[in-house]
Amino acid sequence: MMNLYPTKKFRFPITAECISPDVFQDKKIEEIRRLTVWEGNKQRILGELFKVKESESETKMVVINIHGDVSRVRRIGAYMTSGQIVIYGNAGMHLGEEMEGGEIIVRGNVGCWAGSMMKGGKIEIYGNAGNYLGAPYRGVNKGMRGGEIVVHGNVGNEAGAYMRRGVIKVYGNAGQFAGLRMQNGTIYVQKDCEARVGACMKDGKIIVSGFLESVLPTFTIEGLKEKVKIENDETAEGPFYLFLGDTAEDGKGKLYVSKTKNPHLNRYEKLL
Amino acid sequence: MRTVKHVTCPVCGCLCDDLELTIKDEKVVKVKNGCALCKAKFLGYSKHRVLKPLVRKNGRFFEVSYEEAVSRAAEILTEANYPLLYGWSMTSCEAVSAGIELAEEIGGVIDTTSTLCHGPSTLGIQDVGISSATLGQVRHRADLIVYWGSNPLIAHPRHMERYTIFRKGRFQKEKRKLIVVDVRKTETAETADIFLQIKPNMDYEVLQALRALIRDQELDVDEVAGIPTERLEEIADTMVECRFGALFFGSGLTMTRGKNRNIDAVLSLVSDLNKLTKFIAMPMRGHFNVTGADMILTWQTGYPYAVDFSLGYPRYNPGETSAVDILLREESDAALVVASDPVASLPRKAAEHLAENPLIVVDPHMSATARMADVVLPSTFVGIESGGTAYRMDHVPLPLKKIVEPPEGILSDEEILRIILSEVKRKKAEQMENP
Amino acid sequence: MKMELIIRNGFVFDPINGVKGEKMDIAVRDGKIVERVNERKALEIDASGMLVMPGGVDIHCHIAGSEVNAGRLLRPEDHFKYSERKTATTRSGSGHSVPSTFTTGYRYSRMGYTTIMNPAMPPLMAKHTHKELNDTPMVDKGSFPLLGDWWFVLEHLSNGRIEECARYVAWLMTSTKGYAVKIVNPGGVEAWGFGHNVHSLDEQVPNFNITPREIIRGLCKVNKLLNLPHTIHVHTNNLGKPGNYTTTLETMKCVEDLAADDKPVIHITHCQFSAFKGSDWKTLRSGAEEIARYVNNHSHVTLDMGQVVFTDTTTMTADAPFQYTLHELTGSKWTNQDVETETSVGIVPFRYRRKSYVHAMQWSIGLELALLIKDPWKIFLTTDHPNAGPFTAYPRIISWLMSRRAREATMKKINRRAQSKSLLPSITRELDFYEIAVMTRAGQAKALGLKDKGHLGVGADADIAVYKINPEELDPSRDYKIVRKAFRRAAYTVKGGEIVARNGEILKHVKGATLWLKVKTSQQTKVNEDLKRRFRDYWTVEYENYPVSENSLDISHPINVEAKI
Ligand code: SF4
Ligand SMILES: [Zn+2]
Repeated sequence: MMNLYPTKKFRFPITAECISPDVFQDKKIEEIRRLTVWEGNKQRILGELFKVKESESETKMVVINIHGDVSRVRRIGAYMTSGQIVIYGNAGMHLGEEMEGGEIIVRGNVGCWAGSMMKGGKIEIYGNAGNYLGAPYRGVNKGMRGGEIVVHGNVGNEAGAYMRRGVIKVYGNAGQFAGLRMQNGTIYVQKDCEARVGACMKDGKIIVSGFLESVLPTFTIEGLKEKVKIENDETAEGPFYLFLGDTAEDGKGKLYVSKTKNPHLNRYEKLL
Repeated sequence: MRTVKHVTCPVCGCLCDDLELTIKDEKVVKVKNGCALCKAKFLGYSKHRVLKPLVRKNGRFFEVSYEEAVSRAAEILTEANYPLLYGWSMTSCEAVSAGIELAEEIGGVIDTTSTLCHGPSTLGIQDVGISSATLGQVRHRADLIVYWGSNPLIAHPRHMERYTIFRKGRFQKEKRKLIVVDVRKTETAETADIFLQIKPNMDYEVLQALRALIRDQELDVDEVAGIPTERLEEIADTMVECRFGALFFGSGLTMTRGKNRNIDAVLSLVSDLNKLTKFIAMPMRGHFNVTGADMILTWQTGYPYAVDFSLGYPRYNPGETSAVDILLREESDAALVVASDPVASLPRKAAEHLAENPLIVVDPHMSATARMADVVLPSTFVGIESGGTAYRMDHVPLPLKKIVEPPEGILSDEEILRIILSEVKRKKAEQMENP
Repeated sequence: MKMELIIRNGFVFDPINGVKGEKMDIAVRDGKIVERVNERKALEIDASGMLVMPGGVDIHCHIAGSEVNAGRLLRPEDHFKYSERKTATTRSGSGHSVPSTFTTGYRYSRMGYTTIMNPAMPPLMAKHTHKELNDTPMVDKGSFPLLGDWWFVLEHLSNGRIEECARYVAWLMTSTKGYAVKIVNPGGVEAWGFGHNVHSLDEQVPNFNITPREIIRGLCKVNKLLNLPHTIHVHTNNLGKPGNYTTTLETMKCVEDLAADDKPVIHITHCQFSAFKGSDWKTLRSGAEEIARYVNNHSHVTLDMGQVVFTDTTTMTADAPFQYTLHELTGSKWTNQDVETETSVGIVPFRYRRKSYVHAMQWSIGLELALLIKDPWKIFLTTDHPNAGPFTAYPRIISWLMSRRAREATMKKINRRAQSKSLLPSITRELDFYEIAVMTRAGQAKALGLKDKGHLGVGADADIAVYKINPEELDPSRDYKIVRKAFRRAAYTVKGGEIVARNGEILKHVKGATLWLKVKTSQQTKVNEDLKRRFRDYWTVEYENYPVSENSLDISHPINVEAKI
């Protein structure tokens, strides 16, 4: 088990995609200290920015623990395929970008683009996540393609944009455009959600259990549902309004919105 | 007295190139063909000039030589860990080119004022593309003009006269129809055939509704953003029935709630309309060469703005590598501002961070930003005292002219940037020799 | 004075001078090939056991200009994983299918290419094109203005005023610093101004009293009147549509009578896209045999391949109605930019998949054309970069042309149905290094009328490529992977007499010249007055602000052309 302790409060953006179990695997601690990272425009070695300590561990899995604030450190766990990263603090942008397997746990908040274009594995965030959770890079039309992201706090805008598969669960609130242009997969928001949820979605499932600011005019009411399955053994209790959309893209995505939390939507009932 | 003809106007993105200027004693005394904004610039530009390079020592400005100011600027930039090079929309392509090389050399971030106006348009284009055309195509063919969140009569005063409503075109049969969509009745809206006043921050909903309607989808709602659905159906029909439609959008769309997603929607709408008729869209770019800055950044680096060279190669991700975000996160440790006045336009917190760190300003004026600077390098007015190239909002490149001599000894943006660049290179070589 | 250089003992392939792999030395002084140099002073390249060829010439690659840049802007996703770091000699950049300008120059130079032609310049945007070309280092370059739908051309040709049309074309060629007449889907691009297209050589162009056939023939006559070094460069009508090979045959036939002395009068570009048989995508078949038969029996045509490679790329052409069809077909994002009075452009990202029947057929058709056309001086290697794939795929294509095994290895992985419909298994031909040298440099230079390029005779520009291949030891049919690797990174690239790249490393950033035609006609002034009068009616810029000034070219290389009018 490797433990990383930031040696200072970082001022400049740190780019450190070497902080990944795949990279640490089979490396001696000395080699790990010598891995390349960038601090602003200066190339550094990991050992300059972090105290690296090894500790006993029971599993054979590569585990990296980061102790402290790494909110300026970007690309932690990018491309990882196995192992585990646990961050005791806040983490920076692009956490677990394009990850394919393994697990990242953050006991704090994370920046934007966490789990961007992820293909597999799991990210669990105990604090809040920024914008573009699981969403792709600029111009890319493939978002999350597998795996699971769980956020216990709130998320910013465009969570799950361009999602093709996988699950995102948000136990707090979500910003605008959750599930933008999604094609498949599931997004669950336990609390409140800002407007434009499911914009341009073609398919897939979005469940809002809290208050939803507004439903886009391009969604049509389809019915009422008592409960909805989130994944395997988890269901959300309703009743829910079921909307289909986005008709602006001839989409047939399913948007479930809590009936009890959203009295302003009861005007749709007359259409049922 | 002499006159100069076919002069390109260095004010707004219309880039009118038909000005006729009368010059007396190296001063512009008369402007023909220009609008009020243009006249104000040509007749009034020479006020509040800085005529000597300034360097701040112990909190006070001292007049110094270019050499000393450049040396100080180069020192700041070479030492910086994450410098920001910002501005670029009011200067020539040639100056921007020098700026990009400088940014690459010092491992900095170069960003333009796009970040504050039409950056979201670019993001929208990168998601869905854009069906567009040059303005002459609109002039010859359009029978329907839409201005959305844009008020050309004030911000681009000759746009309607030169390119859209009032200019005769080859295939034009009758008066063109004008639709204006805005949250308030603007000057332009007063002249419209159809004015759609929508509730603020609901453009996205209206655009999506129109998209569904042109696909013959039924809406479940009776109104959208305060507009009855039936009215929207009429608008959708008008758009579908035209022969050639042109939709122009401004910061009323790019900078309101939804930002790049509004643009995504408007561009998708226009793209969809091409199934049924011919339709194009265009952002109403503000500053006269913001388009040129985008263009040259794109061909040299692959990306149009917010380009980060800190890792030795270009990276782009607005939100991460864009100036406002970098400043708000307080990441930069030095800045070079060229042809822009960010202290007057950035969010207060961002401007504060800019001023707290070493700041170099290249500008003809003593701008608000220049007053906060550590080094001020006075420059010529591009398009008046020095030439170059600029791009019209529709990507047509036009020459900027040198019309009068600059004040004695004053260098152009391009020249200043080139000497900073060579000074940086010299300093870096020196450091390599004795680290 | 520049350094003297001698390249010793290489196997030299210089088709224009009839050199077919003989061992000899090449001497260079002041950027030119010379008889001999002072051997003690000259810098020496030991090329023993290597191929020596003229620097590569590319007759058709979209590397610069407003449409390419619109493609770059559209596609950050094309760039972010393909970045090139700044070095002591090179600038940084990015991009896979639409690389940034510096990167484009370096990548060509690494492959031993030294001259390239940018085939689609909207005249109104010529300043932009040339600015980008200024920033494209390592290679000499030229651009073809798009003239097939320019209103002046349509109007004058519809009135049969060939000579007047020629004067305007001469003016425009010189004003835009262009190199050749480009015609794209003639008539169709104008029709696209209102969202329409034309579908045959004899359909009337809306609003103009003319047909595509008349445009092609008219500009072919203009091209001859003006004595331009290259022929008209034609992207056919109906490009990219099943059944279009008949349009291509008709296009070639329609100028048959204008040819004389066995000289080409038309170049059909990226012919693969115009060689489709069948009535729809399901019944798509190859029309390569028919086209090859025609070309083998006629001497007035040259072609380039437009070879498909299986990769993610960006399609971009002035054939905007075709690009729109592609957008509808794929659902990919789409950019369109119509240019007033002149032309248009469309851009759609595209991925060629091995398992797609259509894409696999396209791959096959390109190679069939190259192999069935017997004379390598008539068909050139291109990918219509980036339309059928990026130019960095040339080494792979060379290996397909030289090796049946290489073709079979790919064939095994493509769509099954395409395997059974492909003509490739029946083709045994394998090209040799001489033929490759023709298709990648000599033939292209000849077709372009570039007298100092594409050969290594005394007086030629010292643009030279040395590849680590020993033709006496290596069997390209078997060792095609070695061939591919060697062409990917030239052992040496010499540009203008200097070694600029070695084993894929750029040693020196050099600018490269812009080649353009200075066309002299007997009466020029009349054109100008008429032009000025009509300028304001046609464009939205001032006449005086339209031309590209010579001093805006970093290195200007005008080529004087005496017109017959
Ligand atoms: S519209 Fe704009 S470019 Fe034209 S004259 Fe007025 S300010 Fe200048
Ligand atoms: Zn082409």
